[in-house]
Amino acid sequence: MMGKGGEAAASAQHKEENEEEGDMVGVVKLISAEGFEFVIDKKAAMVSNTLRNMLTSPGGFAETREGEVRFPEISTAILEKICQYFYWSLHYASGKETAEFPIEPEITLELMMAANYLDT
Amino acid sequence: MSGGGPPRKRNFKIEAFKHRVELDPKYAERTWKVLEHAIHEIYNHNASGLSFEELYRSAYNMVLHKYGEKLYNGLESTMTWRLKEISKSIEAAQGGLFLEELNAKWMDHNKALQMIRDILMYMDRTYVPTSHRTPVHELGLNLWRDHIIHYPMIHGRLLDTLLDLIHRERMGEVINRGLMRSITKMLMDLGPAVYQDDFEKPFLEVSASFYSGESQEFIECCDCGNYLKKAERRLNEEMERVSHYLDAGSEAKITSVVEKEMIANHMHRLVDMENSGLVNMLIDDKYEDLGRMYTLFRRVSDGLSTIRDMMTSYLRETGKHLVTDPERLKDPVDFVQCLLNEKDKHDKIINVAFGNDKTFQNALNSSFEFFINLNNRSPEFISLYVDDKLRKGLKGATEEDVEGILDKVMMLFRYLQEKDVFEKYYKQHLAKRLLSGKTVSDDAERSMIVKLKTECGYQFTSKLEGMFTDMKTSQDTMQDFYAKKSEELGDGPTLDVHILTTGSWPTQPSPPCSLPPEILTVCEKFRGYYLGTHSGRRLTWQTNMGTADIKATFGKSQKHELNVSTYQMCVLMLFNSSDGLTYKDIEQATEIPSTDLKRCLQSLACVKGKNVLRKEPMSKDISEDDTFFFNDKFTSKLVKVKIGTVVAAKESEPEKQETRQRVEEDRKPQIEAAIVRIMKSRRVLDHNSIVSEVTKQLQARFLPNPVIIKKRIESLIEREFLERDKADRKLYRYLA
Repeated sequence: MMGKGGEAAASAQHKEENEEEGDMVGVVKLISAEGFEFVIDKKAAMVSNTLRNMLTSPGGFAETREGEVRFPEISTAILEKICQYFYWSLHYASGKETAEFPIEPEITLELMMAANYLDT
Repeated sequence: MSGGGPPRKRNFKIEAFKHRVELDPKYAERTWKVLEHAIHEIYNHNASGLSFEELYRSAYNMVLHKYGEKLYNGLESTMTWRLKEISKSIEAAQGGLFLEELNAKWMDHNKALQMIRDILMYMDRTYVPTSHRTPVHELGLNLWRDHIIHYPMIHGRLLDTLLDLIHRERMGEVINRGLMRSITKMLMDLGPAVYQDDFEKPFLEVSASFYSGESQEFIECCDCGNYLKKAERRLNEEMERVSHYLDAGSEAKITSVVEKEMIANHMHRLVDMENSGLVNMLIDDKYEDLGRMYTLFRRVSDGLSTIRDMMTSYLRETGKHLVTDPERLKDPVDFVQCLLNEKDKHDKIINVAFGNDKTFQNALNSSFEFFINLNNRSPEFISLYVDDKLRKGLKGATEEDVEGILDKVMMLFRYLQEKDVFEKYYKQHLAKRLLSGKTVSDDAERSMIVKLKTECGYQFTSKLEGMFTDMKTSQDTMQDFYAKKSEELGDGPTLDVHILTTGSWPTQPSPPCSLPPEILTVCEKFRGYYLGTHSGRRLTWQTNMGTADIKATFGKSQKHELNVSTYQMCVLMLFNSSDGLTYKDIEQATEIPSTDLKRCLQSLACVKGKNVLRKEPMSKDISEDDTFFFNDKFTSKLVKVKIGTVVAAKESEPEKQETRQRVEEDRKPQIEAAIVRIMKSRRVLDHNSIVSEVTKQLQARFLPNPVIIKKRIESLIEREFLERDKADRKLYRYLA
């Protein structure tokens, strides 16, 4: 589980708002407990079943409308790692090539809780 | 969850750290209130103000803090309450709006249900499976089923509305098929059982009674063709209905209802219908109606066999009528032509309307086989038909036409059980054709022989082929005879001899008549020549089969060439020396058998236009006291006059008996040979087995009678080919 050296294809970037609709195209903004904003591709966010449901639910929840999701219980560090994981998963999950996903021991617990929450 | 993510198992470990979320005793209640409010808002179409993340987190936390049950029960009761509200509004909808309202509410509920499931996803994922509850989506559907569809004020009304709409559509009205589609789809979504119990079953019952009534009405007032048209239309309508707004699984059920009510229940009545039933369709060649009947009846069990049985009995009936109609029997050619036409007609029906169904073809064949063999003169008539065709009927016909006609005849031939009788007649007729040189086309003759050969094997045709060979060698012999002996013969009459191998030809041994001296000398010369070149042979004259061309001068020095039979020639030659002769004189001078003589005198004296003799007293028939005179006043427009013998083309009754007798005689050695063949290989066999084996072996030629087989066995025992078993009298042993 633990490993090092593999490069994460995370390209989490701050700011920029993009109000784009559509199933797989466009970006979504994830906001951490501390208020840091991560704008990632919807495609990547869909790796999480929770996010997938959130973004595709028919009802027109606030998140779908505004294209941003707040996580009051997830810290910036964890959310960043999660975003990295989304991209990592997107890249390697299906393909034959594999690479280790580095997880620092000190965040393991919190990351797992977040993973459970996000159904990832 | 893949590769790098933390495995879910560790969740249990994590729970130990949950103390960091404050455990307010009112926490659960408060959180539930938030969720309950959200559910109401979702039903009120107000979801845009809600934060999915917040709701998801609330549900997540409730489940995590062991309030899963509270959450689940809360959801169930809230949804139930909402649905009860909805049921009231649906119930209140009037008339046609009822379905619309139901459908709209169903759409709403579905959408809300999906949203609720999404925010409660965590509960669905963890709480539901561990505590064995129904997943949220299914719960939503079940509640809808229980509180809306099975709500007493809606349940019956829904069914009635649906059935009423379908009834109206059947009566020709246009209904909102899209709405129907949605409603039936809703029932299917609620589970196949709901669709079947709450809609399909009553639908089928109502349809059954509808079609039972309608078919009753139709059958009273329509003829068979129209009824079938209506039934076909109804069937197509129902199939179309299913494809438009019912579940695909209903198609087989509803079509079987229509089939049963409209077709199966009235099958026999339809087929038997007077003036328009199957028989009339067959008579009038109603290909379209017959085709429709075939495709419709094929759908129900026993449908095709009903048609087939009816057709078979009709064919047998008409066939029997045809072959036993005494009027028809007068003209064998017409008789066979009728059979062929009948066969063609029904072949076409089976081809066009019954999709070339093998079972129908078999039924047709067996019917023909049945009735053709009802008349034991069929083999004779079929041979006569071929005779007629090969004598004159095929003139000008192309090779394909000839082949076509012969193929058809062969088809009839196949139906014959007594193929050996046919062979007998065919031989006779062929012999007549060959000897009189009347055959139209040698190719056609040979083609027929080849067909018979492929059908029945070499044995069947070897004698027929021998006849052709004899004709050929006779020609060569005659050429040789004239080449070598022409100077010896001088100016005498020309002789043309056909040398026929005994056994190959159907010759009846008949005493030769005494030929006029002019002829006799030539004959003797030929005899000398022939026996000189072929030693060890015997030559007998078959005067009953020959023909002669003679020149005669009548009163006003009119010259005619008369084409007559050998017998007639003999008689006429007598008048060279005297003008009047009595019957007795003629009989004595010619030694022609009396039946033949009478016949030949009749054709010379009693046929108008060909009466080269004059009879006293004048009458139609010849009696032994008549006197005959040379008819001086004979006139004819033609130089060549053909005087046919009055021979019935058909056999007369005694002749028929005779032929039959000969056939029976011929069968005896065949049966015996078959018995010996069988016993040789089996050594020991019981009586019944022998009979059945012999029947099987000889089937290609004729159908042996068990009694005759028994007689043959007895004869074989007498001659010590077989013996009875000492212990079991039913067993026979072969004695080598």
